[in-house]
Amino acid sequence: MMEEEEGAEEQQRFSYRQRLKAAVHYTVGCLCEEVALDKDMQFSKQTIAAISEVTFRQCENFATDLEMFARHGKRSTINTEDVKLLARRSHSLLKYITEKNEDIAQLNLERKAKKKKKWEDENRNSVESAEAGVEESEN
Amino acid sequence: MEETGAAFRKELVSKLLHLHFKDKKTKVSGDALQLMAELLKIFVVEAAIRSVRQAQAEELDHVDVEQLEKVLPQLLLDF
Repeated sequence: MMEEEEGAEEQQRFSYRQRLKAAVHYTVGCLCEEVALDKDMQFSKQTIAAISEVTFRQCENFATDLEMFARHGKRSTINTEDVKLLARRSHSLLKYITEKNEDIAQLNLERKAKKKKKWEDENRNSVESAEAGVEESEN
Repeated sequence: MEETGAAFRKELVSKLLHLHFKDKKTKVSGDALQLMAELLKIFVVEAAIRSVRQAQAEELDHVDVEQLEKVLPQLLLDF
C-alpha cells in the first residue's frame, strides 16, 4: 500500500513540474514573439522549446544560489541584494538589474504614497462631516 | 513608468524558486520576486536576441536550435 501512495505522490510532483514548465514555455513564447517581430526573424518551434527548457533549468541554479546568499546573510527571506548578487558576472547585466531595482522601489513608493493620500482624502471627508455634526448639536 | 509586453508573473516566479529551495523556511520578498521576474525576462530575451544575431551572421532566414546552441555557452557564462 505504501508503494502505491509513493507512486501517486511521485505522479503529482511530476504533473506539477510539467505545469510549471508549460507556464514558462508560454511566457518564453510570448517574449520570443516580441523579439521576432522586432528583429523581423522567425524562431523555429524547437528553438522556443529549447530556450524554455534552459530557462527552467537555470531557475534551479538561481533558486539554490539565492537561498545560499540569504543564509549567508543570516536571513530566511531572500531580498533584492541577493538577486543583485546573481547578476554579478556581467557588468552590463548588473547595471541593468540595479537600475530596474531602483525603478521598482520608486514605483512602489509612488503606489504607497497614492494609497496613503487616497486614504487621507476619504477619511478627511468623514472626519469633517463628523466635526460638522458635533458643531450643529452643540448649537 | 509601466512597461507593456510579455513578462514573467510574480506568482510563477515564486513557484519556480520554491520548487528548488532546500529549506522550508526560505521566503522571497515581493521586491525580490519583481526583480527576479526582470532577470528571467532578460535571460530569455538575451537568448533570443543572441540567437537572432547568430542566424543573421550565418545569413539564415530563421532561427533554429543550432544557432541557439552556439550562443548558449557564453550566455550561461554571463549569468
